[in-house]
Amino acid sequence: MNDQPAIDVRDLHHAYTHGGVTEPVLHGIDFRVERGEFVVIMGPSGCGKTTLLNIVGLMMRPTRAAAVQVAGRDVLGLNDAARTALRREQIGFVFQRFNLLPTISVARNVGLPLRLRGIAPDGQVRVLLDEMGLAAQARKKPGGLSVGQQQRVAIARAIVAEPTVLLADEPTGNLDSANAAVVLDLIQRFHRERGLTVIMITHNEQLAVEADRVLHMRDGRFCE
Amino acid sequence: MLALAWANLLHRKLRTLLSALAVGIGIMLMLVSRGLASGSIAEVNERMQSVDAELVVLPAQDNIIFTNGAPFRGIHERHLRDLADADGPLADLVIPAFFGQVKMGGQQQRLFGVDPRQMAAFLGERRVVRGELFARAHAFAKRVARGERPPEDMDNLAYQAYLADGLELVIDDRLRRVGGYQVGDEITIMGQTFRIAGVIEAGVAGRVFAPLQTLREIVVAGEQTASMYFIRLRDGLEPATAAERFATSLGSGARVELKSDYGRLLRESFASVNLYMNASSGVALVVCFLFILLTMYTMVVERTREIGILKALGVTRGGLVQLSVLEALLISVIGVVIGIALAFGARALIGVLVPLLTVALPVEQLLLAIAVGVIGGVCSALYPGYRAARLDPALALSHE
Repeated sequence: MNDQPAIDVRDLHHAYTHGGVTEPVLHGIDFRVERGEFVVIMGPSGCGKTTLLNIVGLMMRPTRAAAVQVAGRDVLGLNDAARTALRREQIGFVFQRFNLLPTISVARNVGLPLRLRGIAPDGQVRVLLDEMGLAAQARKKPGGLSVGQQQRVAIARAIVAEPTVLLADEPTGNLDSANAAVVLDLIQRFHRERGLTVIMITHNEQLAVEADRVLHMRDGRFCE
Repeated sequence: MLALAWANLLHRKLRTLLSALAVGIGIMLMLVSRGLASGSIAEVNERMQSVDAELVVLPAQDNIIFTNGAPFRGIHERHLRDLADADGPLADLVIPAFFGQVKMGGQQQRLFGVDPRQMAAFLGERRVVRGELFARAHAFAKRVARGERPPEDMDNLAYQAYLADGLELVIDDRLRRVGGYQVGDEITIMGQTFRIAGVIEAGVAGRVFAPLQTLREIVVAGEQTASMYFIRLRDGLEPATAAERFATSLGSGARVELKSDYGRLLRESFASVNLYMNASSGVALVVCFLFILLTMYTMVVERTREIGILKALGVTRGGLVQLSVLEALLISVIGVVIGIALAFGARALIGVLVPLLTVALPVEQLLLAIAVGVIGGVCSALYPGYRAARLDPALALSHE
């Protein structure tokens, strides 16, 4: 099972339909990411990067595809419940806008993926927050944190349940360069130390330097 | 999920409180309206059961609450007295009662016209706590029993003098306390000035008693009419069998019931009023739960992005419905607690403003309120929860 790629997408097409108008976004994408690989996807806004990430993150279904496999599992035929379960078990998300739940504490935000798996978050949350320099913020609500701290909390939440794949959609897009460096450093560290598969979308060429592979997208296709 | 639901509610404290208050008001209305009905019925029934009799004879009509006047004539009373078997008359005592109305203690009271010589049947073990029990009215009753009637051409002063001994009232101690009455106080009823002659312990059939003969004289010029009868049976008679015999004897104008059935008859008579009250409080509750539905729906719209986050983290559709239900349940439970507190507050307030009304808040009614709150809460959360569950996760995450 572990020999299989983390992500394997073949001939993926996707189109959005608004008010009866169909707008193709992805055109026959083939995309394979090995386990433990760090892949960066770059490209102009609207080229389909986020759509691709949402499809491999099981957040949306493609219009058409020959195959979409996540963590070795063919997901095209899965029902909603099975896709949700697979997402819960195998995928961690980091978003540009952090997307923390504002009503609960930092510690509860980070522990949520564990709770959703039925695991009581005993020490993991504390250790992880400690490791990320956020121990003092554990009881605070996300609104009381700086943007850099919020993104670190988001990363902690994304990896606490040890997913197979971390999908990061412009994780440094809202951060200054110092915070962006810290965030990238964290992602790289978890990739390196835990063998985490990372697919990261970014516009920042400098952030792509550390990646195993950089893919460029334009008009719904990968290009050289 | 519970912690998240609670945190979500605390995030919008005022809205949560208002929603819970809406539920609370609905629950309070339900409890108080039902409590008023059941409390009043239970109290009246309890008082009627204190009469030393086994049967009641009532006009042959469906409703025993809204009865006025005195449809029974002297011939009915004679029938009741005379009905006999081989061992003698079935009735050991026939007690006529003549109903009137009097406003005392801040509300309308049923004025019980009873023969002063039969007061023992109403009093039972209860004591006279102040004054006397129809001291002068006894003499008046005896005069009437001897057939003394005022002549047709008697002038008003002479008529007043004729009635004077009969213008006595006996009230119960609860009414005395509520109305602040004293022995000797004068009360005007149907143009005549009655004097409070005595006060008896509470719990007897009526709160205000007047001599039967006086009321008959004032209202029906001394005719031997009655609003109802109590019948104390001869020892050893089976009440149900005797009731049938009395009913047959009286014919279609009367119904003879076991006194022990009086509570049921009251409830049946009150059914239409109860239905109206239940319908009113039911509508109020529906509006309250629609308020919760609207609150929950608004929360779904407001929290679209958060729902997207939860979906991204792997919360199932069922989990989102569960979250919505939990939030609504928490609001409902708080609402029920507020409602019960308000109901007890309303009962205390009613006790001050209208002290003679009884609001019953038994445990089963409180449990019913909790059940209504829980079921209403769950129902009002289902549609918003369904909407949340149906949201597209990617679209929800991009929601501004």
